[in-house]
Amino acid sequence: MGRDRKPPDGELVQGTLDMLILKTLSRGAMHGYGIAQRVQQTSEEVLRIEEGSLYPALHRLELDGMIDSEWGQSENNRRAKYYRLTAAGRKQLTKEANRWRVLMQAIARVMEAS
Amino acid sequence: MKRLLKRLRALVWRRNLDVDLQDEMAFHLAMKADETGDPMAAQRQFGNLSAIKESCRELWMFTSLESWWFDLRFALRTLGRSPTVTWVAIAALALGIGANTTVFTVVSSALSFEMGVEHVERLVMITPGESVRNDPFWPSFVNFRELRAQLKSIEDLAAYRFRPVNLSDSRTFPERYSCVQMTSSAWNLVSRQALLGRHVTPGDERPDAAPVVVLSHRLWQNRYGADHGIVGKTIRIDEVPRTIVGVMPSGIQFPEDTDLWTPLTLPDIITAQQQGELLLFARLKPDIPLAAARTEVDAVARRLAPPSSKPSSGLVADVRPFLELIGVYAGRRILFAVVIAVAFVLLIVCADVANLLLARATERAREISIRVAIGAGRARIIRQLLIESVLLASAGGCGAFLVAIAGLRWFDRISSQGQRPSWVDFSMNGRAFAYLAAVSICAGILFGLAPAFQLAKVDVNSAMKDGGRGAQGGVRGNRLSALLVVFQMALCVVLLAGAGLLIHSSLNWYSAPLGFNASNIMTMRISLPEIKYPHREERISFYTRLKASLESLPGVQAVSIASALPLGGSMRWLGEVEGAPADARHAPDVGSLIVGPDYFRVLQVPLHRGRFFNALDGVTGPQVAVVNESFAAKFWPGQDALGKRFRRFPQGSNEPWFTVAGVIPDIPQTHNRPLQTSPLVYVPYASDPQGAVYVVTRTTVPPQNLFEAARRTVQALDENLPAQELTSLQSRLDRQRLNVSAFSTLFTVFAAVALLLASVGLYAVICQSISRRIQEIGIRMAVGASRRDILKLVLMQGMRHTVFGLAAGLPLAFGLTRVLRGALVGVSPGDPFTFASVVIVLMLASLLGCAVPAYRAIHVDPLVALRFE
Repeated sequence: MGRDRKPPDGELVQGTLDMLILKTLSRGAMHGYGIAQRVQQTSEEVLRIEEGSLYPALHRLELDGMIDSEWGQSENNRRAKYYRLTAAGRKQLTKEANRWRVLMQAIARVMEAS
Repeated sequence: MKRLLKRLRALVWRRNLDVDLQDEMAFHLAMKADETGDPMAAQRQFGNLSAIKESCRELWMFTSLESWWFDLRFALRTLGRSPTVTWVAIAALALGIGANTTVFTVVSSALSFEMGVEHVERLVMITPGESVRNDPFWPSFVNFRELRAQLKSIEDLAAYRFRPVNLSDSRTFPERYSCVQMTSSAWNLVSRQALLGRHVTPGDERPDAAPVVVLSHRLWQNRYGADHGIVGKTIRIDEVPRTIVGVMPSGIQFPEDTDLWTPLTLPDIITAQQQGELLLFARLKPDIPLAAARTEVDAVARRLAPPSSKPSSGLVADVRPFLELIGVYAGRRILFAVVIAVAFVLLIVCADVANLLLARATERAREISIRVAIGAGRARIIRQLLIESVLLASAGGCGAFLVAIAGLRWFDRISSQGQRPSWVDFSMNGRAFAYLAAVSICAGILFGLAPAFQLAKVDVNSAMKDGGRGAQGGVRGNRLSALLVVFQMALCVVLLAGAGLLIHSSLNWYSAPLGFNASNIMTMRISLPEIKYPHREERISFYTRLKASLESLPGVQAVSIASALPLGGSMRWLGEVEGAPADARHAPDVGSLIVGPDYFRVLQVPLHRGRFFNALDGVTGPQVAVVNESFAAKFWPGQDALGKRFRRFPQGSNEPWFTVAGVIPDIPQTHNRPLQTSPLVYVPYASDPQGAVYVVTRTTVPPQNLFEAARRTVQALDENLPAQELTSLQSRLDRQRLNVSAFSTLFTVFAAVALLLASVGLYAVICQSISRRIQEIGIRMAVGASRRDILKLVLMQGMRHTVFGLAAGLPLAFGLTRVLRGALVGVSPGDPFTFASVVIVLMLASLLGCAVPAYRAIHVDPLVALRFE
């Protein structure tokens, strides 16, 4: 039924969510909440990841073998599921980052042309 | 691959997955609550917790597979909720699919032509051309050799001839078997090796070779009890001792229905120039069309034809597919008709079930619209409904399995009474089972499509508001089911027409004026071997003695012989009538029979003019003959035939004139055509004493009581002579009727089922429309409509379907009943009486179908109807 739902403002460009997650995890293992927090902070509150998209994305990446998961203790002693980048995930991140760069430059050239 | 493994692991540790998800979400919420300090706000921000968990879980699960499983369970529950509809549908489907499977198995088995010949479709026979009346090409052995040397378009040219033989040995009483003498080249066409020993080789054809014989599996089993030491033994075949050199495996009865094979050799069996005995067959070379072979063979045969023959138009020799020799091949049009008929039955069943489902679909509109409202896609709804109908069809298929087994038993029993080819095996095999499964599923999809699309288009809003009656969907559904009923009626017309024509034929057969009294006549066939009875005097003397011995038996009134029995064919004669211009091209074609002195007395044929034969006819004095009414009417119309003369058309030799001594009524001679009369001439036995004849005996006791005595009487005269085909004339006729009566039974059953289903379909549609219109009827009655008006309203609605059905069905029936032509007796495919009966029967059945709803409609209480909601 989600077919005709319009994307609201500030929603992530499709496909970039995976990249953001991989990028965030490239700095080390992290749980879901932490990933959302970090993206929000580094983007200076511009990007917000909704839980409704975050967890399905995490599980899909795990199924695809881009990330691994294991249960651990959080900083405030709670049981949390930590995600970690795999070798395949690292490769994927490089690929997507490159593509992203090319795309951004192309868009920038178009937008800045008089 | 890795993904699949992970998912499988998740399936096994399903509880773990759920717990993990639960924990993960709980952690997130807790962190969020810590951050904001308000657990409720955290919850609100988080959104739909179970939706997130659901979509995560879907990633790990085989959701699509699982949803199939859910749909299946839901379908089972839905079907269980309306058991009557379900059982009626399953029963109808079981009948329809079962009948189809039965017919498929029978027809595919009958047409599989397992003759042990590779590329049987390329096998051809070379026959005399039918289009030339005189000088057709009858090959002699010399011709065969020349053809074999010259023909380029064919390979493995072989010659054979059928020859019934008397087989005697030391084991049991002598019997008659069908023997084929064929050249060793014929064995190149048979694809299988001998089971024991060997088949005939070129070495057996040398003039100094010892006489040999090859046995069929059937003969080996039946007569020799599958004795493995049989090879090397000697048996007597038509009084010639022959060594058994081999036994063929079962299924090899090449060319057809052969018990044993002997080599075709010169000169002890046949002389090199002897014409008219050999049949030639060969295999077309790959990629050579039949027409090309035909041209070549005709051209070569023309050169080989005797120089006396004049050039004539048309083919001298023809090439025809070998399969034409086989009875089933000729009857394939009738088999085709049965296949169409049974397919129609299944279509009618499908239409009926579709109508049942449509009726239920209207009731289910509400359920479906709820499903659509909470997010089920159109595809999902259609899938759900199709699963239901395929499930229904599968249940029907299970029932059909039982129906098919019963049907095949019936066919097996019926066909074993007649003759059937060796390869026919009427049992449930893998192919039949695959067919059954495929038909079940296709039928399920077929009858499921209508309601599925109907419901998938349901307008959610109006359906929910409408209290489930679905005003808009209802009208369309109504139109669709009306169309289905019309379709059923149209198919029903075709089946009724077919059944009507066949019943008519059957009646015609049974009531046909045969012209003789068939009860209490014992018949048997005797074939005197030429080697032992080479002279005409010996043959005449044998039959005179046999007649005397048989007549001395108690219970026997009179005995005679004939070259063919009634409805058993006759020999073709080209005749010449005295005084008429003698032109070979227009020489009249008549049938001839050779009969003994008391033949007409045994058959109790009334004499119209002149006299019957006596014992001296043909022995001394001028040649005399008895002719039938058709003969007299054709050649001497309006005159007295007695004393008139005719003879065989002289071709080279001089033919004697026959004087007509008597005239008898017509007796049908053509096989399976009891109403067909043609000019026939009866010649006394002594004029042309043949070795092989039928012995007919008029008895005062049931004929079967005399079979044993008759056999002993024959063996008392010649201990090596078998009495074959001992049976009564009545049962011979019954066997011929079997064909038409079996087909008419089959079609009648199909048509009856179709009629029942079509009228039930009409009933259902009318019922439904009445219950939808019950308020309208109430209003009509309240404002003064009489019961007659209401009755008219309902009947008009019902009859409209029937009339449309007739309009579509009658032309279709008219076109399709042509296929039945070969099986019809005394009735044409477009018989107006039959078609009129079809209209009446269908009208009556529809009236019956409308009667119950009409009764309900006229007894509607306006008060109740108006309050009905």
